[in-house]
Amino acid sequence: MGRIEFHQVTKRFENGHEALKDISLEFEEGSMTFLTGHSGAGKSTFLKLLMCLEKPSRGQILVNGVNVTQISSRRLSYYRQNLGAVYQDHHLLAHRTVFDNVALPLRVSGMREKDIARRVRAALSRVGLLPKEQLFPGHLSTGEQQRVGIARAVVPRPKILLADEPTGNLDPELSQDIMHLFEQFNQVGTTVIVASHDHSLIESMGSRIIELSNGSIVRDEINVSR
Amino acid sequence: MARKAKPRKDPWPRPHTGPLTWCRDHLRVARDTLHFVSARLGTSLLVWLLLGIALALPAGLFLLQINLAGMTTAWEGRPGLSVYFDLGLADAEIAATAAALGSRSEISVVKVTSQAEALQEFQTYTSLANALDLLAENPLPASLRATLAEGASLADLELVAEFAGRSAGVSEVVVEKTWLERVTDITRIVSRLGLMLGVLFGVGAVLVTATSVRLAIEARLEELRVLKLVGATDRQIRRPYLYFGAFYGLGGGLIAAMLISLCLLIVETPLTHLLGSYGQDLEMSGFDPKFLLALLAVGGILGIAGALLAARQRLADLEIT
Repeated sequence: MGRIEFHQVTKRFENGHEALKDISLEFEEGSMTFLTGHSGAGKSTFLKLLMCLEKPSRGQILVNGVNVTQISSRRLSYYRQNLGAVYQDHHLLAHRTVFDNVALPLRVSGMREKDIARRVRAALSRVGLLPKEQLFPGHLSTGEQQRVGIARAVVPRPKILLADEPTGNLDPELSQDIMHLFEQFNQVGTTVIVASHDHSLIESMGSRIIELSNGSIVRDEINVSR
Repeated sequence: MARKAKPRKDPWPRPHTGPLTWCRDHLRVARDTLHFVSARLGTSLLVWLLLGIALALPAGLFLLQINLAGMTTAWEGRPGLSVYFDLGLADAEIAATAAALGSRSEISVVKVTSQAEALQEFQTYTSLANALDLLAENPLPASLRATLAEGASLADLELVAEFAGRSAGVSEVVVEKTWLERVTDITRIVSRLGLMLGVLFGVGAVLVTATSVRLAIEARLEELRVLKLVGATDRQIRRPYLYFGAFYGLGGGLIAAMLISLCLLIVETPLTHLLGSYGQDLEMSGFDPKFLLALLAVGGILGIAGALLAARQRLADLEIT
């Protein structure tokens, strides 16, 4: 349930800048891929198109055979409920506790509070923030906020997990832990796509690497170094 | 025979949530909204006051209208007509006319005053009693007063007057409807004014709520964006704001009820005095639990309508990036 296809996708912004140029890619269900490239290469735009936060100027994006650029508002909601996403700027709610922030996707999907509590604590425990579940995001460091965002992305056990620079604010050791967490999700069948410019981290993982440069694919290979 | 293509399974089906989950979600949203409203008590009070005034005016006029309408039937000087007979008419003929009038469905009571009784009343209630002693015979005619039955209209009164005028020995028929017509006219004016003000202030209440909800939406835009990002449906996103509208509307209804009871308290003494002079006790009708419930319901509905308006407008163009 996590096959993704990009067919000749181009994204041109109103100012004329082409963030992605004629991209055609396939991601098999249960695959793990790293998107890399310099700043402005098109990594974030690629993920935003997949999250349906932007619409492509041309081309099709199919997820499980469905063109997600043309689905209704309601189906888009259900699609996003099956999507875990980690954002560069975290998107945490300042007036809600860490627990409530992580519980948000589960509440949206109508889960029982008892189950929510169990799942949220498990996710917080995985990112090492269980003792801080009652704190507000403002009381956390940037790295901790990033981990809350990661916990929120993985808590609904999504079929597809997208992460935009998830380790940008984390120390190397914690970055490795988070990558292993993504790997564990991938091992149970989740399709994982991580955008990162941390080459050393990416090279340490045995996954597919796609490098973008000025909106075009300049490298697409499986890293067998591990 | 061609094989039917197997329909593709929806990769993102609607989550199965039972009614219990739905109720729990509503309860949680209601609690959160109540918390948000109470945390901004100053702003909320202003909104409640605005809505309260907007609801109190038409509701007050409605009360006035139903009490005025009630007065036309309950007032002691009820509508009716007085029939004056020729001097010296036989009692039997007077009784026959009274019986004929009394048998009509439009008439509830017929009271006959004989010549002797008229004289006695005149002597009792005026200071001119001695003047009549100078006359050789009683100059006051026998009369009867017929009171309109409940539900009878002014047109019925005209018919009865016409009937009485055709009876034998009737000298004059006086229809006592002038004041009734005035009260009826006033009731009509108040009713139409109430309707007009109701519509105007109703629209005002919707706009006040819409503006307040719009401000609440602006204050929580980031939360809305995050909710959209994690897959909340439009209905889920709208839900807290509908509760906002409902709470504002219910609060407005409550304030309106308080304002109306305050007004009633203020006018009670002079109104009692005024009605007392007409031999009438003050009995306000309409201001009862049913009216209060209706006021709260109207407030709630208008509040929800305002919230829907604001939410539809603002959330339609909400962009998430």
